[in-house]
Amino acid sequence: MRRNTSHFEGLRVAAIARTVVLTISLVVGTEAGTAQIRAEPSQAGFDQHVGVFVQQNCAICHNDRLKTGGLVLTKYHDTAAMLRDRLVWEKVVARVRAGEMPPKGLPRLKPEQIAATTNWIEAQFDALDARSKPDPGHLTAHRLNRAEYNNTVRDLLAVKFKPAVDFPADDSGYGFDNIGDVLSVSPVLMEKYLAAAKKIASEAIPSGGVPKPTLIRYSPEHQPSERRLTLEHTFDLPAEGDYDLHAGISGRKDEAFRIEMQLDGKPIQASDIVIDEDKPRSYETHLHVVYGEHVLRAVLIPREATEAEVVIAQKIRSSDETELQESLTAHPENAAEIKRQHALSHPAAYVDAIDIRGPFHALPPPVPESYKRVFICDHGPGQHNAQCARADLSHLARLAYRRPVTEAELDKLLRLVSLAQHDGLAFEPSMRVGIEAILVSPSFLYRLERDPNPGDPEAIHPVSDVELASRLSYFLWSSMPDDELLCLAEQHRLHYPDILHAQLRRMLQDKKSEALVDNFGGQWLELRNLDSVHPDPDEFPQFDEQLRQAMYTETRMFFQSVVQEDRSILDFLNGKYTFMNERLAKFYGISGVTGDEFRRVDLDGTQRSGVLTQASVLLITSYPTRTSPVLRGKWILENVLNTPPPPPPPGVGSIDAQGGVVTGTMRQQMEKHRANPTCAACHNRMDPLGFALENYNAIGEWRTQDGKLPVDASGVLPNGATFNGSAELKKILASNRNAFADCLTEKLLTYALGRGLDGYDRPAIRKIVSTLEANDYRFSSLITGIVDSTPFQMGRGDGGNIK
Amino acid sequence: MIITRKHVSRRTLLRGVGAAVALPMLDAMMPALSFGGSAMKKVSPNRMAFVYVPNGIDMRNWTPQATGRAFTFPQILEPLAPLQDDLLVLTGLEDHGGEALGDGPGDHARASASFLTGVHPKKTAGSDISVGISVDQVAAQRIGQATRLPSLELGCEDGHLAGNCDSGYSCAYVNSISWRTPTVPNPPEVNPRALFERLFGVGDDAGDPVARARNARLDRSVLDMVCDDTKKLEAGLGSTDRRKLDEYLTAIRQVERQVQMAEQQSRTNTAAIPTMARPDGIPVEFSDHAQLMFSLMALAFQTDITRISTFMLAREGSNRPYREIGVPEGHHGLSHHRNDPVLMDKVARINRYHMEQFAYFLRKLKATPDGDGSLLDHTMIVYGSGISDGNRHNHDNLPVLLAGGSRLFRTGRHIRLRDETPVANLYLSMLNAMEVQTDKLGDSQGRLNYLDELT
Repeated sequence: MRRNTSHFEGLRVAAIARTVVLTISLVVGTEAGTAQIRAEPSQAGFDQHVGVFVQQNCAICHNDRLKTGGLVLTKYHDTAAMLRDRLVWEKVVARVRAGEMPPKGLPRLKPEQIAATTNWIEAQFDALDARSKPDPGHLTAHRLNRAEYNNTVRDLLAVKFKPAVDFPADDSGYGFDNIGDVLSVSPVLMEKYLAAAKKIASEAIPSGGVPKPTLIRYSPEHQPSERRLTLEHTFDLPAEGDYDLHAGISGRKDEAFRIEMQLDGKPIQASDIVIDEDKPRSYETHLHVVYGEHVLRAVLIPREATEAEVVIAQKIRSSDETELQESLTAHPENAAEIKRQHALSHPAAYVDAIDIRGPFHALPPPVPESYKRVFICDHGPGQHNAQCARADLSHLARLAYRRPVTEAELDKLLRLVSLAQHDGLAFEPSMRVGIEAILVSPSFLYRLERDPNPGDPEAIHPVSDVELASRLSYFLWSSMPDDELLCLAEQHRLHYPDILHAQLRRMLQDKKSEALVDNFGGQWLELRNLDSVHPDPDEFPQFDEQLRQAMYTETRMFFQSVVQEDRSILDFLNGKYTFMNERLAKFYGISGVTGDEFRRVDLDGTQRSGVLTQASVLLITSYPTRTSPVLRGKWILENVLNTPPPPPPPGVGSIDAQGGVVTGTMRQQMEKHRANPTCAACHNRMDPLGFALENYNAIGEWRTQDGKLPVDASGVLPNGATFNGSAELKKILASNRNAFADCLTEKLLTYALGRGLDGYDRPAIRKIVSTLEANDYRFSSLITGIVDSTPFQMGRGDGGNIK
Repeated sequence: MIITRKHVSRRTLLRGVGAAVALPMLDAMMPALSFGGSAMKKVSPNRMAFVYVPNGIDMRNWTPQATGRAFTFPQILEPLAPLQDDLLVLTGLEDHGGEALGDGPGDHARASASFLTGVHPKKTAGSDISVGISVDQVAAQRIGQATRLPSLELGCEDGHLAGNCDSGYSCAYVNSISWRTPTVPNPPEVNPRALFERLFGVGDDAGDPVARARNARLDRSVLDMVCDDTKKLEAGLGSTDRRKLDEYLTAIRQVERQVQMAEQQSRTNTAAIPTMARPDGIPVEFSDHAQLMFSLMALAFQTDITRISTFMLAREGSNRPYREIGVPEGHHGLSHHRNDPVLMDKVARINRYHMEQFAYFLRKLKATPDGDGSLLDHTMIVYGSGISDGNRHNHDNLPVLLAGGSRLFRTGRHIRLRDETPVANLYLSMLNAMEVQTDKLGDSQGRLNYLDELT
C-alpha cells in the first residue's frame, strides 16, 4: 500500500511535496527542485527545443486554463525553471519518448523530432548534475520493522521463535514497509517490545529443569476439494525422550489405504487401513527421539481393498446413501442443494492432523545455542563470575547496537544486573535483565546515524564505516551486520571499494540474502498479497492451498535465481526458465516433472516466460471469479514501467457496479467502459497491457476461450504499437530496457535506503541505469551500483534541502 | 483470606500522575486486582462463564427424576453431587436457532453458533458468515471495560481457520461459541501457556505474585535506563531524528506508568493470590488440559483480570477419542448411536468425564474466598450443549445447568420449565444479574422465571 499524504501531517513541508510527486504522476510543479543553477544555459536552446515544441504539441491541453491532467507546461520560459521542476520534466520526457504523448488524435511526431527534444532536455539534466553539488539526502532514525526485528534477534541470540509476529503491522510508504519516516513507535508496540525482550531473554537463559510432556499439534486448514494424502511438519522437540507420534485421518469416502509414518524421512510405522466412519481414525506410534528439530510426515498410499474390506465399504456407502435418500425424500424441493451439501460433508479421505506428545522419561535438554551466545566466557552454568558479566554484556551490546559500546553504557547495564541480584535473583536470571535492557534500548530498536552537523543540510559527508555496515546488512539481509562486517567497519576499512565489493559478494551468497527476496521481491512484485486472494471455489475447484504455496515458491525461487546466479534483470520480463514441482507443472500443462521437489524447468516452446505470466502474479491481479485486465495493466504500469495511474476520480463506477445485463467477454464489456472519455484517459494505458494477458484465467491457467467466446489478446498501446498476446507485449516492454531498468532501480534504491526518493536522487539513478546497461543488466551491477551510489555512501544533516 | 480492594478508578490514578487519557494496560504485567468496580461499595463483582460440551448428551443419564430440592443425581451429573446447593438443573430449554428451519443438515454448526446467540446462523461455507452477538459479548461490551480483559475465550481443541466444517457451514461456526459481532467470532485460546502469558505476562516466575512485584520493579529500572540513554542519544541528532526518539520516549513513559501502577497494586495485594507455575504447553491428557484451563479461568476471576469467560471443552462435532476412560472411538461417531445401548453407554461415559472436569472447576471456585463468601457464590456458570440427543440432533430439551451464583439465584433445585423455553431467556436473567439491562437477546421471550423463587 502506498502511503496516503495525510499520514505525513506534522512532517516538514518538503516531505509532503516529495510524497505528492512520487505517488501521483504529473502533478502541477511542486517546488521540489533542489539544486542551484550556477551557469545559465542559452535561452535560444530552450526556445528552440522546448518552447516551440510545447507550443506546437502540448499547449492545447497543458495550458494554465485547462491544466489537463493537472499539468501546465506553458509556464516554463527558461531552462532554469524547467530544471527546478525536474521530476515533472523527467515524466514529460518519458511519456513523449514512449509515444504516449501527444495522445491519439493529435498529429504524430516524427522519431527525429522526439529524439531532438528529449535528448536536449536530458542533456540539460546531465549538465545540471555535472555542475551541482550532489545531495545524498538524510536517513531518518529507522525503527526496525517486523522482519528486521525477527532476523536481528535470530542472528544476535539464535532464538528459535519470531517475536515480531505479535507486533502490530508496520506502516508502509512508497511501496515498502521499511521506510524510516513512516515507521513509528506506539505505547502498544513498546509494551510488545518489553514483553518480547523478556521472552527472548528467558529463552536465551532457560531456567533449567526437564520439560513436562505436552501436546504439539499441526492441523492446517483443509478445503473439501483438497486431496491431502501427505501432511508434514517440523516439530521442535524440547528434550530427548520418549514421544507418541500421532496422525489423524478425516474424510468419509470408503477407500483403502496404507498409512505410513515417517520421521526425518525414515519410515517408522505402516499399517493398512480402510476409511470407516465408525472407527477412530488415528494412528499412533512410540519412539525415543533426540532433542531438536524433527520432520514428522504421515502419508496415505491408496491400495486395493481386500474382499472383506469391500464388504465393509459397501455397508458404509449404503448407510451414507440411505441418509442422503432420506433427506431427498423429506425435501425434494432442495434436491440440488442437499446433494451439494452431501458431497461437501463427505470429502475424500485426507490427513487431518499430525501431533507429537511428550517427552516422557525426558533427559535434561542440552545448553541451547542462545545460551552460548550470551555467556561467551565459556564457563558452565553456575561457574560465572563478575568479570563474565562485563565481557558478556559488552560483546552482546556491541552486536546489538551494531557499533562499539561506551564504558558508560556498559556500566549502566551492569548496574541493572547487580540491582536484580540485590533484589534476590541469582546471577543467570539477573543477566536476563541486562539482555532485556539491551533489547528495548533505542540503540537496538533504531538504526541511528550521526551527522557531524546534524542541523545543517549542506554538511555532506561519507557515512561512517559502522553506519555503512548497517546500511549494507539491512539492505541485503534485513538484519544486523555479522562479526566479520562489523570488524572491518570498526577497523575503518569497509569503505575501501575492493573490501566493500568483496563483502557484497559474500553477503549475496549468504543464505541470509533470502531476506532480499522475501522483503524486496515480496513487496515489489506484490507477492505478499497472495494469501489474501481467494479464488471462487465453484469456479476454480482445482485451486487449493498447496497450489497457492507452489505459486509463491515458483516466483520466490525465480527471483532468487536472478540474485544468486547474477542473471540479467531483463529475465524478470522474459526469462525462459522457471521452477516448478509436479503439482505446478500439471497446472501449467507441462509434462515430465514428478514429485514435490521444485526444480528448474526450461520454458522454451511454452506460453510462459518471466514474472508476468507466472501464476502468482496473474492470480493477485484477478478477482475471485474472473480476470481483471485493469488490475493487470495497473500492475505493469506500477511495477514494470514505474508510471502508476492516478486513482479513479470519485463517482465513476466499475464494470460490476454498473449493473444491467452483462454480455460478451470481459474484454467486450471493458471496451464499452472505455467509450466513456473520463475513463479512457487512463484506461487506454492500463487496459491494453492487461488484454495481452487474457489468455491466462483468474488463477493463471492457460485458456483460449473466455466463457463461450474465443479470447482476444491483441491490443494497441497509446503510442500506436500493436501486439497480439503476452509474448509480443513482453517483446515491446523488453525493447525499452532502460524504462524497466529505471523502474527497478528506483524501487530497489527506495528499499535499500528506506526512504522515499527525491529529485536530487535522479543523477544517482541515471548513473546506476547506465552502469546496468554497460554490464548486460546483471543483477550484481544493480546491487553494486546502488551500494556505490552517493545516496547510499553519503549522509548529510537534517532540516530541509540543500539551498 | 480476604482480598482488600482499593477502590480507585484507572482514570483517577492516571490523573494522579498527570495524564487524563485512558491507557491500554500493559500486556506484560498483571494487576493483582482491577481498578474497576463501582464507587465505594465493598462487594465482590459478579462474574459469568459458559462451558460448552459438544455432540449432545445421553439424556437418560442426565435428567433427574424429581424436581425441586430433593432430586437425586443421575450418572452424568453425579460428580456434582457434593455441590447440590450450588446448582440449578434446568430441564426444558430449547435452542430454536439450531433447528434446520429449511436449511437441511448441519445441526452441529448451528448448535454451537446459536447456543449463546439465540440466532439461527446463515448457511455458508464462505466468508459471509453471520449469526448474532453472544451473551458473553453483550456483557463484555457493557461492563468489560472495568477489567483488563473484557472477556476470555478458552477451548481444548484447536479450530481450523476457514472452510466448510459441517454440511456447508463455515468452520467459524463450530470453532467459537463467542461472537463479538454477528460476523466476528472470538476464537478460543487452547494453549495453557499462551493463556498464562496473556494473563500474567512472560517469564517463568510470572505466576508468583512476589516475583511479579519484583519484575515490575526491575522493569521500571530498565525503562529508567533506556530513558536516560535516549536523552543522551538525542543530544547529537537533527530535528527529525529527535522527533522520532521523542516518540519513543513518550511510548516508554506511558509504559512506565503502567508498570508503576502494577507495582502499587502488587504491593498491597500479593498475599491473597496463589502462586501458579507457568504451564509448558498443552498437556497430553485431556483431563490435565481441561483442569489447567479451568484453573487459569478461576485465577483470572480471582485476580479480576476478567469477569466474563467462555470455554469449549471440545469443538461441536468433535471426534476426539477418550482412550483414558476406555473409549477409543471418536466422540462424534459414537453420538450417532442409533439407540444402541453399548454406544449410548460410551457416550454417557464421555459426558461424565467432561462433568468431572467441570466439578473440579466448581470445587476450586468454592474453595476460593471472595468478599462475603466464595468465588463460586459470585460466579454464574452455564454448562450445557446446543444439542440434546446426538443421534436425533434435536435442539429442544437441552442439557443445561447453572452452577454457582448463589448470591443471585435460589440454587439447589431441579426445575422443569415449560417445553421450548428459549435458552436465551436464561441469559437475559443472567445479564440482569450482572446489571446489564437488556430486553432481548436473539430469540428470547423475556427473563426466565423461577430462578429466584422458592419451590
